[in-house]
Amino acid sequence: MAAQAGSAERPTIAMAMGDPAGISSELAARLLSQEDVRAAAAIIVYGDRRVIEEGARVANVPLDLYVVSPDSALPGNPAKPVLVDLGNLDPAEVAMGEATPAGGAFATENFRQALRLAAAGRADAVYFTPFNKKAMRYAYPAYDDEIRFVSDVIGFTGHTREFNVLEELWNARVTSHIPMSAVASTLKQETIVSELELTDRMLRAAGFEKPRIGVAGLNPHAGDGGNFGREEIEIIGPAVKTAVARGINADGPYPADTIFVRAKNGAFDAILTMYHDQGQIAMKLMGFDRGVTLMGGFPFPICTPAHGTAYDIAGKGIANLGASRHAFFLAVRMASRKPPS
Amino acid sequence: MTAVVPPLAITMGEPAGIGGEVLLKAWSQLAAGRIRFVALDDPARLAAEAARIGLGVPVATVSDPEQAVDVFPRALPVLPVPLAVPARPGQLDVRNATAVRHSIEEAVRLTLAGRAGAVVTTPIHKKCLYEAGFTWPGHTEFLAALAGGDHRPVMMLACTELRVVPVTIHVALEDAVRNLSTAEIVATAEITARALERDFGIASPRLAVAGLNPHAGEGGSMGRQEITVVAPAIRILQEKGIRAFGPLPPDTMFHAAARAGYDVAICMYHDQALIPIKTIDFDGGVNVTLGLPFVRTSPDHGTALGIAGRGEANPRSLMAAIAMAGEIAARRAAD
Repeated sequence: MAAQAGSAERPTIAMAMGDPAGISSELAARLLSQEDVRAAAAIIVYGDRRVIEEGARVANVPLDLYVVSPDSALPGNPAKPVLVDLGNLDPAEVAMGEATPAGGAFATENFRQALRLAAAGRADAVYFTPFNKKAMRYAYPAYDDEIRFVSDVIGFTGHTREFNVLEELWNARVTSHIPMSAVASTLKQETIVSELELTDRMLRAAGFEKPRIGVAGLNPHAGDGGNFGREEIEIIGPAVKTAVARGINADGPYPADTIFVRAKNGAFDAILTMYHDQGQIAMKLMGFDRGVTLMGGFPFPICTPAHGTAYDIAGKGIANLGASRHAFFLAVRMASRKPPS
Repeated sequence: MTAVVPPLAITMGEPAGIGGEVLLKAWSQLAAGRIRFVALDDPARLAAEAARIGLGVPVATVSDPEQAVDVFPRALPVLPVPLAVPARPGQLDVRNATAVRHSIEEAVRLTLAGRAGAVVTTPIHKKCLYEAGFTWPGHTEFLAALAGGDHRPVMMLACTELRVVPVTIHVALEDAVRNLSTAEIVATAEITARALERDFGIASPRLAVAGLNPHAGEGGSMGRQEITVVAPAIRILQEKGIRAFGPLPPDTMFHAAARAGYDVAICMYHDQALIPIKTIDFDGGVNVTLGLPFVRTSPDHGTALGIAGRGEANPRSLMAAIAMAGEIAARRAAD
């Protein structure tokens, strides 16, 4: 019998094994060995048995999974994690610490399968261990980032956004991977409002009752009353007002240099920043090792640790599992709260 | 023989703000210490402030900085700069703007004359000063004008874990990006390197230069200033014998492991410098003005009119500013 998503007790998480040349396999094996992880969800893992066995050896943890072939039916509400053995990579061919076409093909295929399971309604959330962008591009030349890849695979065209999540604070941004010279001209009132709406929706999906969203200004001192730029007065301020009128608990614009300190002191659940480094500098300082990335706006949540493949410590068995656990449990939390369809 | 270090000159700042309160608190914690300072302030307003918030800080009027050195362990020495009307917490009064300005002018005069070791400023309220005819964009520009000559002031913010210098400061982000130039980066970094050598005792300072764009432009795909503006500046600095390196991705250059590799981060815009230092140490940051003929430090906070007179203000940043000015003054006196 096929697994049904959204079972009464616990959600189903589709998990993709990431780039094999770094710490991803080690993290996957260690995560799957933990009792609270195994209890929290039915987990369907996509990857190769040999690669995860190698990961378990590096992590020095026991591996206890149901291994099934890709063409066999998935067991319903399995007592332990299920590995769908795609047989798509021989670890003997992996050069540790190197981005390779084979590694990229492995990770993209695992991710594609996990996404399809969730898109078919048979998993409630997707989780993956870190990818390497260079390797992903070997396998999928159009690969910009995960958002683009997911949109392509499941054919989704709605409004999506990457969120950076620490347990106590979320960060979303209005602009991201664009030159700084394009930031001011890209800011639009409607865009800010729709980012606030998406942020509000994602936080509610993660269990926040009435999420408090702080909005950063663009300029030094949030423009200092118009002395150092007018975007706060003409664009950001009105956007916050519109969002508030729509029932969103948004507040700002605040000077960017102290808004994260306010948040740290408990004033906000999330900060909406205007450009990439405005949020990334503070978030990385506040939780370099435990940050989580959430791809929000898709029909199901997609979570991963914010750190990368850490080629420099690959194979050593010293990778920190903190961010991986936070990412997994965020996926579980958001999956469990998904409204019944 | 140890050189005699003259006392630091501390300005009044906005008398309706928290400046007086943090000064009184700082003195009570530093009275037994090595560093001595004198307030250029209204003795009556400081005494009233001490009484209002229940601080048993004795205030002593002195007639010159030399006298202040002797008085300091027993009382907060004050060289009188009388207010026009009594200060009321949280209530700006433009009639006191002249005194605020005189305090700064007097501090600079004493320091340039070698009778004070350095200037420590407390926060001013620019709008109030503007109404009284003050025309400079800020404190720093006013100090540069008082210094005379053609000085280029450079703002450095420092806490125990990090020093940052923004190349552009109080301008709209769009203008900061548009006007960023190789010459500005080189001039700012050079002043910074010299000041770290002379005033901070760092023999051959390492300057980490930030990129402007996300991921430092990622090879030009997210902006080209790293290639066309920042990297050329780094090459020029290196040719001058300055240990500058970069451009570094701004979001990964501030964590502890990265910070261990440099003495100062040269940042391309205000918040690139301010976000990390405020996130690391909100209360303990010190603002240092480099590039002037005298040393000036100030706490890295504002007038905080909203909490003035309540006794809640934290003196940490002012104490750090005093400690830093004291060290620099001692180093200069020993030169």
